[in-house]
Amino acid sequence: MVSLHVRMAWRNIWRNRRRTVLTLSAIAFATVLLVFMLSFQFGSYDVMINTAVRIHTGHVQVQARGYHENNDIRLVVTNYQMIGDRIKTIPSVQAYTYRANAFSLVSSKNRTYGAIVTGIDPPREAAVSTTASTMRQGVFLSEGDFNQTVLGELLAANLKVTVGDEVTILGQGRDGSIAATVAEVKGIYRSGQDEFDRGSLQIPLAFFQEVYAMPDAVHEVVAVCHSLSDVDTVKAILIADLATITSPYSLVVLGWKELMPGLAQGIAIDLVSGIIMYLLLVFVVAFSILNTFLMAIFERTREFGVMMAIGVSPNRLARLLFLEAILMTALGVLIGIIGGSLLTWYFQIHGITLEGVAEIARQYGLSSTMYPRLTLVTASVGPAAVMVITCLSALYPTLKVRKLRPVEAMTYV
Amino acid sequence: MKTTFAILVVAFVILLVSGRPSAEVPPADDIVRRSFDYMRGKASTAIVNMTIHRPDWERLMRIKVWTKGETDSLFTIIAPAKDADNATLKKGREMWMFNPKVNRVIKVPPSMMSQSWMGSDFSNNDLAKSDSIIHDYTHTITGKETVDSVTVYSVTSLPKPNAPVIWGMQKLKIREDGIYLREEFYDEDLRLVKALTFSDLQPLGGKLYPRTMKMEQADKPDEYTVVTYDELEFMETLPDSLFTLSSLKTPRR
Repeated sequence: MVSLHVRMAWRNIWRNRRRTVLTLSAIAFATVLLVFMLSFQFGSYDVMINTAVRIHTGHVQVQARGYHENNDIRLVVTNYQMIGDRIKTIPSVQAYTYRANAFSLVSSKNRTYGAIVTGIDPPREAAVSTTASTMRQGVFLSEGDFNQTVLGELLAANLKVTVGDEVTILGQGRDGSIAATVAEVKGIYRSGQDEFDRGSLQIPLAFFQEVYAMPDAVHEVVAVCHSLSDVDTVKAILIADLATITSPYSLVVLGWKELMPGLAQGIAIDLVSGIIMYLLLVFVVAFSILNTFLMAIFERTREFGVMMAIGVSPNRLARLLFLEAILMTALGVLIGIIGGSLLTWYFQIHGITLEGVAEIARQYGLSSTMYPRLTLVTASVGPAAVMVITCLSALYPTLKVRKLRPVEAMTYV
Repeated sequence: MKTTFAILVVAFVILLVSGRPSAEVPPADDIVRRSFDYMRGKASTAIVNMTIHRPDWERLMRIKVWTKGETDSLFTIIAPAKDADNATLKKGREMWMFNPKVNRVIKVPPSMMSQSWMGSDFSNNDLAKSDSIIHDYTHTITGKETVDSVTVYSVTSLPKPNAPVIWGMQKLKIREDGIYLREEFYDEDLRLVKALTFSDLQPLGGKLYPRTMKMEQADKPDEYTVVTYDELEFMETLPDSLFTLSSLKTPRR
């Protein structure tokens, strides 16, 4: 019985090739679009997150509990090298570094501003953050540098300093003593994030530890992963590792979502607006398919009349028609998934270069080539939505068929 | 809007409470002014010990202080040795800091005035705007009690319109002889932020004076700063040259 229905439905579909091909194209096109755009959207989120993470926070950080909330200079990680050695052994970690921060007065000859002074380990930092690649003037710090500094472009402009000038740093050390020093400007960076460029200054970690009286201590152990999807795994491994490390301050592992809650929320909002757009697209497709089905039924009214006259029950006829719709949709969605995945896959490998933005993108440490990211989710969510909505829209003509009367239907022209 | 309303309500309550003036109570402005003069004198020198207490550590500093008139002050750290000769000059409502290690004078920018001074619970503003209480606020007596046979006035001070103040309200407890007992600082939503308590009254600098003051954060009971006077001397005047940028740079241990 079932196979007979399927065979009949399949034959019915191909009795009017042109109509079927048109309907199939509409479904397949919508599916391709959904797969590609969803993949592209998720791919661009990855780029956004990775860019933001690369400027500043890293994917994962180990800190003393409470440091992220209070930025209290007292809350340090003392055995940071030990933690670094553990991180090194995690395969999905690409690079890691150590940082220490202190809010201080930064002063040139005539001007003074408040800024976050960060002690960094130059070679490790260059592997973790993009700061080194966004230098506008001078060069980034290198190993062996001591009383030298790189600072944000806006801070440099506010202070009216340029490469080779001196800045005075006046803050408070970890022991409460006065931390004061003079550092020579070695370079000026522009990350593109104004807040960072206006309020940050970097000095070598060894220099920081001496000035701020915190030998053998840092505030953050920062790690970046090969891929965003590794973050949760790395976090879990680190949490397990930390349980075996004793430390004077209780340590916590924070992921990028906790470190940059604003970014995670921004992405959530963007995703919602994206979903609304996709739903509209799916609805438009659904209406066009509804139209096709409806027209087909008007065309085939005579045929249905004959079928009912030779004893096919209205229910059975409805089931047959619904099966046709499902078969057609499934076929269209399948073609769409294959086509969409191939398209996405091609661009995932070759990238989409946005002409004309290369210069701007480079300034912000971004690449002008975007890569969509095909995942099981992006390849299935859109098609599933098309499938469901199309089948729903096929219900209406199917139910309409049940109201046909054989004699009237047969005389219908 | 909310803040304005809250201030209005408080002002109204204060009006109700203080609606029955009695003859022997001096005007609130006089009490505050007299007390400010009593505590600050015309000019003074002092050596104080400042203890900064935090839950897991404590820090002691010894500081020499010169003051003149309502606004001018000079602070030099004497100990610990590591920080010796670091100095702060306050003139009018501006502040400069000097560090001997880098041999530079840094003017504290307006954006940094709310930051802590030397890591203590006193902010730069607490020092810079110490005379704010007599110029920028209107005072109302809200209570009167007798402690150890001395009358203690409770004064509520609300900022004058458009005055450049940092606090939404201050509450003072002042003895009739002018000695401060307590100063509470409220934010613009009239929540207590911190409180300065004066205690340990004894003859000091030729008059009865609270030897100890303690600044406490309202929301962090385990964080406070205690300042104890070791030496205090009042005088008619001090040379103007003492309160200059060049004087700030001169070591004077």
